[in-house]
Amino acid sequence: MSRAWLVTLATVVLLPVFVRHTIATEIWIFAIFGLGLNLLMGYTGLLSFGQATFFGAAAYAVGYLLKHYAINVVLALAIGVAVGAASAALVGYLCVQRSGLYFIMLTFALNQMFYFTAYQWTTVTGGEDGMPGVPRPEVLGLDIHAPLAYYTVVALLFVLALWIMRRIVESPLGKILQSIRDNELRAEALGYNVPRMKLVAFVLGGAFAGLAGVLYAMLFGIVPLEAIGFVFSGNVVFATLIGGSGSLYGPVIGSFVFIWLSESVSAIWARWPLLLGVAFVVVVLFLRGGVVEAWARYRAWRHASG
Amino acid sequence: MPLVRTERLTKSFGALVAVDAVTFAVDEGSLHSVIGPNGAGKTTLFNLLTGQLAPTSGRIVFDGRDIAGTPPHGIARLGIARSFQRTSIFPTLSILDNVWLAAFARQRSWRGLAWRRADRYSEVAERAMAVLGEVGLEEKAGEPAGAISHGEQRQLELAIGLAAAPRLLLLDEPAAGLSPEETKRMVTLVSKLKGRYTIILIEHKIDVVMSMSDRISVMHFGSLIAEGAPAEIQRSPEVRRAYLGGFAAP
Amino acid sequence: MLYALMGIGLSIITGVLNIPNFAHGALFALGAYFLVTLIQLLGNFWLALLLAPLGVGVIGIVIEYGGIRPLYRAGHDYQLLLTFGLSLIVTEGIIIVWSPVGMSQLPPPILRGGVDLGITIYPRYRLFVMAAAALLVLGAWLFLERTRYGAIMRAGIEDKEMVSLLGIDIHRLFTAAFALGCVLAGIAGALTAPIRGLNPWMGVDMLGIAFVVVALAGLGNLLGSIVAGLLVGVAQSLVALVWPEASVAVIFGVMTVVLLVRPQGLFGIR
Repeated sequence: MSRAWLVTLATVVLLPVFVRHTIATEIWIFAIFGLGLNLLMGYTGLLSFGQATFFGAAAYAVGYLLKHYAINVVLALAIGVAVGAASAALVGYLCVQRSGLYFIMLTFALNQMFYFTAYQWTTVTGGEDGMPGVPRPEVLGLDIHAPLAYYTVVALLFVLALWIMRRIVESPLGKILQSIRDNELRAEALGYNVPRMKLVAFVLGGAFAGLAGVLYAMLFGIVPLEAIGFVFSGNVVFATLIGGSGSLYGPVIGSFVFIWLSESVSAIWARWPLLLGVAFVVVVLFLRGGVVEAWARYRAWRHASG
Repeated sequence: MPLVRTERLTKSFGALVAVDAVTFAVDEGSLHSVIGPNGAGKTTLFNLLTGQLAPTSGRIVFDGRDIAGTPPHGIARLGIARSFQRTSIFPTLSILDNVWLAAFARQRSWRGLAWRRADRYSEVAERAMAVLGEVGLEEKAGEPAGAISHGEQRQLELAIGLAAAPRLLLLDEPAAGLSPEETKRMVTLVSKLKGRYTIILIEHKIDVVMSMSDRISVMHFGSLIAEGAPAEIQRSPEVRRAYLGGFAAP
Repeated sequence: MLYALMGIGLSIITGVLNIPNFAHGALFALGAYFLVTLIQLLGNFWLALLLAPLGVGVIGIVIEYGGIRPLYRAGHDYQLLLTFGLSLIVTEGIIIVWSPVGMSQLPPPILRGGVDLGITIYPRYRLFVMAAAALLVLGAWLFLERTRYGAIMRAGIEDKEMVSLLGIDIHRLFTAAFALGCVLAGIAGALTAPIRGLNPWMGVDMLGIAFVVVALAGLGNLLGSIVAGLLVGVAQSLVALVWPEASVAVIFGVMTVVLLVRPQGLFGIR
């Protein structure tokens, strides 16, 4: 077992000791979301500005089923993953045909379309007020209403998601996606069907987003309209970016920093998105590799100076 | 028996006919060169053969079937590999990964694509290392491909082509931008490949072409103006006219 | 007409600089807020209407110079992320300086009340906005078609390398294009303020619409963005008559279809 794994596990265990359980839970949910985006953004080089589409679609769909049909948690998670993957397949199918600016604008336009659909479809989604009253039923006979119990469930799922993502990026597919990021033309000339590979990345990323969406809905008991909005898409892009896109642990570190900071700052100052914007600009201008790269640079610098 | 042949292969961009009714055939196991002045349509011909461009008209027959219009990844899977005139590698990946990806693409089965660890495909790794050994890059296998010299990148470019274990290898000016020293090394490399692969070579350095080729096709303004063994090409009056303009030597 | 104005502004930026400016909506809102404050300071609507967009233009120059320019080599993705961050900053800045509560702004006395058009009574200010926007669109079009700077800007959209070969400072062109786009967004915002009132998030919807307009027109197609702006405006009001709930989603649906079927846009050549 590698050191990174040990650090991660230790963090998972110790986090609820130091941080409010709800926030700790949200960190890992957001990390799952970020893992999925990073496969697209970091590994495949596809800047998707519409990840909230999959997150929100899964949250609404499963939230509705939980509320009205009282499905069990395992089924809810499975459906969430499926809805996330399916919506990503739909969006991805449309988007991978295009590249560059058109790609980004398409992901954005489709996100907006889903957003306004949710906004207006008040009978199901509750529109601007969100969809309240999402229950958190028992899982395998265990009551998970206690924050710590739910934290445990989410943390276990996060560790599972991280492990799956590691398998994916260390598989041939992971290499192929990176080769597409580096040089699409060459990857195609080697015999890889580039649009199809991108679509696979989309579907996988969407599945992670769907899982995160369901966990989020059960955490707060509500699906807010913002969960499908493009600012939310931007947030996960940002979290991945601060952590360092293109490395496995980047989005994990990123969501840790992002959620923790935003939750603690928003408690004292309602205008925290300003700081978020400033941080965004600073990271983009000076720290494009994120925390992971900064750490590597620091290590190299220490190494060089003795 | 030709491995690949074209029939009246044509590609036009608007009014410009870049490749004009080219009919030629390449025998299995031979080294066939395509020469001609700049802008003669040689690289366009390659792009047609590898599917990067779809022909306006005409046929490309590879191993008995018409492949015109097949997308590049499909053609690559049939066993046609190429090197690019302007170096086209994966700069942030390691040199080993660059060739590994080429070797993996040609695996008959992609089982475990998204799940099995990439380093568990021992036959792919062996092939990749063997090819790196052949071009003399095995010691740099772990370095990122973007960090090595231009000459080494040209070697890597060739290695990526080779790692696909191609049935047909298209080399687009492998010695482009190399120093005389590096060119000599590249020529040795390519001549070692001769006979083991079916190769189509685009090259500007005429002496290299003359010494290595089995057959030579000469292109000029998109058309094929001459074809034959090196000695025949040297004597051909059309070729002299094409290269020397109106001032054909006696 | 306002859509056309937003569209042209964004189209210039997207076409010349090749980045979708996510801050465009926030700058639109900023134009409106500048207007209100300037009216309070100067007591003159017309002067405020002139100065507010210029203020936004200055901010645009600062953004281009300090933010986007250092990122030319890092790539478009990062420039885009930068504009996203900036949109947050501007929106929150508005909330801090003014307030999160919406405001309203009356049109100047001369433009209050309605005009009897025979069939219906139409607010005078709306007529003014339509006329002003039409004039501005015409002005922008004439500027781009008939003046030297306009020609350079169009050339910059077509072929940046060629322009820099001709000895024109490409960076200055970028700054100018960005500033011009911002000024247009500022005008649109300022003109909108007395119609719809102000709130810090007023730009978000507008940003989406502007993207739709640009996508419909084809990236960098300026005349196209005028036509597309009008089309979107008309289409939206028509759909709103029949099925008001769906009007916005429909617009984005149309954009998606167009991007897929004709990625060069309805009027695009590229």
